Amino acid sequence: MAVVFILLCYFQLSLALQYSDKFTEELVLKPLVQDQIYAHFQFTTIWNVDARSRDLFQSHLFSRALSEVIVRHNVQELHISLTAGLWNYETWGYPIVDSAPGAEVWVWFKDDTNDIDTNWKQLTNSLSGLLCASLNQIDNTNSINPDISFAPTGIISNTLNSSFVRYATLPREIVCTENLTPWKKLLPCDSKLGLATLLNAGPIHNTRYHSLSIHLRPICRNAQCDLASIELTQSVDLVYDFTILGTRNWSLRKLFGQGIMNSCPLADTSTIYVETTNNDTNIFHLSPTPDEYLISTRGGFSSQFAKYVVKERPMTIAASYADKQMYTVNIPPPLYANQYKIGYGQQKGGLVTKIYNNHWAPIDVVVLQNLPWYIPIYLHTLKIISNGTPMKPQKLIYKPGKMREKAHSLELMLRLPAKSTTSIKFYFDYVFLKWQEYPPDANHGFYIGSAIISGHLPLGRNYTGIPQDGSTYASSFNASRKNYFVQIRTEPIVITLPTPDFSMPYNVICLACTVVALAFGPLHNITTKRLVLKVNSDNLLTKLKKFGRSLFCSKKL
Amino acid sequence: MGLLTDPSAGQSKIIKILMKYYSKLCIILYLGGIIAFCVLAYRPFNSETYFSENALLPGLVRSEYRDGNTPHTYYRELLDEMEKYESKLPYSWLLAKFKQIGLDTYTHNFTLNYPLGKSQKFTGKNVYGILRAARAASTESVVLSVPYRPPLSIHETTAPAIAIMLAFAKFANKEKYWAKDIIFLVTEHEQLGMQAWLEAYHGISGGKEGTLNAGDMRGRAGAIQAAINLELHSIEIGEIDIKIEGLNGQLPNLDLFNLATRMCAKEGVSHTFKNRIPRRYTDPLKDWKYTFQTMLSMVATQATGIPNGNHGLFYRFGIQALTLEGFANSKDRLGFITIGRILEGTFRSLNNLLERFHQSFFFYLLPSSDRYVSIGLYIPTIAALAATLFIKAYAKWCLLHDEEENKENKDELDKPQTIDETGDHNPITRESFTLKQWEEKLKTDTTQLNQKSKVHLGHICAVFVISHLVGFGLKELPTYFAKIGVQYGYTTESSIYIGLALSTFLIILIPIFVKKPSYSSMIVLDIFALLEMGNLLICIAMYNISLAMFCGVLYIPFALLLSPTRCRLCSIVQKTCWILLHPFVLATITVFTYTFFVFWNELVDQILYKALSATQQAIMFSIVDSMVYGNWLFSVACTIMTSNWICFWYMCQYRPMIEEITKKTETSKQKVD
Repeated sequence: MAVVFILLCYFQLSLALQYSDKFTEELVLKPLVQDQIYAHFQFTTIWNVDARSRDLFQSHLFSRALSEVIVRHNVQELHISLTAGLWNYETWGYPIVDSAPGAEVWVWFKDDTNDIDTNWKQLTNSLSGLLCASLNQIDNTNSINPDISFAPTGIISNTLNSSFVRYATLPREIVCTENLTPWKKLLPCDSKLGLATLLNAGPIHNTRYHSLSIHLRPICRNAQCDLASIELTQSVDLVYDFTILGTRNWSLRKLFGQGIMNSCPLADTSTIYVETTNNDTNIFHLSPTPDEYLISTRGGFSSQFAKYVVKERPMTIAASYADKQMYTVNIPPPLYANQYKIGYGQQKGGLVTKIYNNHWAPIDVVVLQNLPWYIPIYLHTLKIISNGTPMKPQKLIYKPGKMREKAHSLELMLRLPAKSTTSIKFYFDYVFLKWQEYPPDANHGFYIGSAIISGHLPLGRNYTGIPQDGSTYASSFNASRKNYFVQIRTEPIVITLPTPDFSMPYNVICLACTVVALAFGPLHNITTKRLVLKVNSDNLLTKLKKFGRSLFCSKKL
Repeated sequence: MGLLTDPSAGQSKIIKILMKYYSKLCIILYLGGIIAFCVLAYRPFNSETYFSENALLPGLVRSEYRDGNTPHTYYRELLDEMEKYESKLPYSWLLAKFKQIGLDTYTHNFTLNYPLGKSQKFTGKNVYGILRAARAASTESVVLSVPYRPPLSIHETTAPAIAIMLAFAKFANKEKYWAKDIIFLVTEHEQLGMQAWLEAYHGISGGKEGTLNAGDMRGRAGAIQAAINLELHSIEIGEIDIKIEGLNGQLPNLDLFNLATRMCAKEGVSHTFKNRIPRRYTDPLKDWKYTFQTMLSMVATQATGIPNGNHGLFYRFGIQALTLEGFANSKDRLGFITIGRILEGTFRSLNNLLERFHQSFFFYLLPSSDRYVSIGLYIPTIAALAATLFIKAYAKWCLLHDEEENKENKDELDKPQTIDETGDHNPITRESFTLKQWEEKLKTDTTQLNQKSKVHLGHICAVFVISHLVGFGLKELPTYFAKIGVQYGYTTESSIYIGLALSTFLIILIPIFVKKPSYSSMIVLDIFALLEMGNLLICIAMYNISLAMFCGVLYIPFALLLSPTRCRLCSIVQKTCWILLHPFVLATITVFTYTFFVFWNELVDQILYKALSATQQAIMFSIVDSMVYGNWLFSVACTIMTSNWICFWYMCQYRPMIEEITKKTETSKQKVD
């Protein structure tokens, strides 16, 4: 993978700016095929500073708390997501930013970093404090360094060396307001002005899916790419359900509890896009009238957006549906996957990852399985079956884990045949853990993280992602490329390891002690004593000796 | 404590007392065990049920379900739809409804390759919708299932249950508090559909490979934590019966049962267990009689190992489940709203669960829906029954041991005398006898003497192993019986029955003609067989107390009394009894008597015909059950019970010689003195 990424920058930066950083905020609202609406907030800060410099402390809009962390731990790229719920690829299409349920972190360290493992451990601890999440639980026992799944998304100066990447996920992490508040503090306007005022804890947790993420990467400052900048993208993805809201006629007030009071004065642009592509089947009327309508053609599929520019006055947007709901046939996206456990009992189990390719041509994907150390897999049981016929992976990278030290990782490069369902199946053992290793609520089960399927889609249907050379959602309009990169996350799995009854140890100790006490005496007697015939000698000398001994002993006592 | 020492335990005082009174002790233990078991149903000997799992928080939330119209609309629509499909699932309607409600909707197809006789195929289709929880990533789920019954089905309709399920799904999908996905499942073909769905969900095959082809399914929702199977026979419900007995006698966690009773009580629905309302009488005897009958009814169902509802198939997969069966009665008329509220309460409690069901009891007996007998109480009763077998085996062993010892002693005492005698008659020969010659003579004499009482361990082991091989063979044979029978134009069930009858006949006949070495060998075989039976009972009791109790009560007295005897009458009586206890004969007799009791007012030949066909079907169904669902009753009956039966049968065929008997009685008398 010795490829140098040189990325073109399309945006022109006005050098006349007093400060070298720029902040944009965007909100995308997209009604999904069923009863849901997808809201994506994106706050992008671009700072024209050399990412390699150690002096990142004089920031203007960029969060100082974050810059300190990245300098200290020599971070080149940082991707964090905190997610509750599962993105339903089959019916919702692709999100703008993919993230796995729970907490997920992956980081590229700079190639002059010496001790990556220590830096990784320290970094996750710092991030844990920054976001109030249990990221401090990440260490080498649950981290992997995948070879091909996670390429850097930004620019790099040297050849790629996958030993500088670390990936970890905490599927059990519960995401709540305590993560949202510190996350909002990283924004230039905090939550006081601009689009961020819409992020109120109550309403945004009444969703089917919500995800907070932070992505940091170095990008090109200009088209020549002779200078680099740092791009920080903070995004929130929410999926509201009309059945939970109680009505299909949504408005900003209904979704977020309030309208926008004022724009953020620090933001260069502050825009709201409402996708109106499906407005011919389920017709809704937007009020107020949008500032303009945009048509974006991308990868052979065009979509329509209504654009609102947030101004320095209160505003809200409302949509009202004209007719009764029409049930349209859902066309699933070209590539999606799910994961499940097979088998029963607490001895042996299997894990199946099913990948669906609905496209008419083969698609190349990389599948990454990230398994905790307590799930030792049998690689010889690995079976890849595509539409009923066995298949061989083009490349298989298996990094076996170590008990209590290192997680297992399995990367498979596959060419999914056209219109196929491919299942990857392998078996594993349930192991006994030491009794301190069980978490609280031990009978809840143990998690296996999401499998990650990365691939390049040849067409832009259902695709909403931002191109690699762009920074804002606006850069995805008319951004037709050769292919479109997606990284799908499956659902995590809960398995039940053999769990002791933790109320029992007391009883067991009592019982075991009694049994040992009863058995020990006789056993000790048999093994140490020998029955010897003793001649009873009654001469005077021995009697005296005996008498003396008894006297001596009694005195001693 | 001489726990591990004292190798000469046979001589100790306790053992002597045991030897003296073992037969009385056996009788006391046997009767005591049975009486203790019966008494467990008496109120002071069992305890009131309670919630062990704190997280369930049963009935803490206020019910919000109050929509009575929606289920009625669904019900009317479903009735119309059912008219169009006489024997099939109206899956297009169900799919449309699930989709409208907003669930992820899937179908699941399965095929049954009928394992016996001609190769036949049956297909079925299940429909299910998954409510994706807003607060979790599809890692855990709970199931609400309804078995669909077409108008042509012999069972009572469950259409009202489907209507309320859909209405509840519609209600639940609006709520944001769900932390576990809810799977709404409608199965076809009763238990077969449920088994196929569960096998497909877990990607395994529970019975014989290739019999039930469960296929694959698209949508899943993580680990299933609990399941409620709903069967309502009327739109107006008078009482709800809670069913729990599962495959191979497994039971759900008592907490789930408690939850169901609590929810019914909260909504004011009279709930029953085994169709009996929890009642309390002031008269202790009457009270005991009532609860004992309830418990006995549970024991009878559990002993068969056949689930009495779709819930019974979940247990294998570690999923706690039960059936709520609603009946109409003349007293109460509760509508859909009440049922909806019960469902809401139950599912919200299950939603609260942080951990899998692991507290409370998995092994219990219920004398009433609000009282339980824990495993700690009922195990001693079956242990007392099994103990009789071990005591008897030990006593026999000691007697055998003493006999040999006595004989050795006697030989030692006798020998000098004979030497003296020979010496008196012919002193010259005595002198010419060298020490070596003496030794040789002694050897030959003793072998001749002991020939008759020697234990032929090799022979016994061979008999033991062969009888078990026969058992294994018997388990595998029915498939071939059916194949052969079908070729000659017999039905599957009759060819299996005839095949098994013939094998039973051979099993009874052959041991009579096999050589039996000696009396003491037979005693050793008897000991082996007694020990095996004792172990079998204890092992079964760990899993299915009812079956163990049933077998124990029936087999123990005869197994204890069975021994080689010279008395012709005794011999005939014990052999006839033992033949009647052969599992195959026993099954036939049971079904025959049952049929006689049910159809007592019909003609004798009609009853006989009915009884015969019922027996044939019962045996065939138990074989099919073992192949499709993995029910092990037939396997255990063949491989262990029949094998054990053969050992006893072979042993009691031996006709001992007078010396052997007298010697034995002498030694035992000596012991007693």
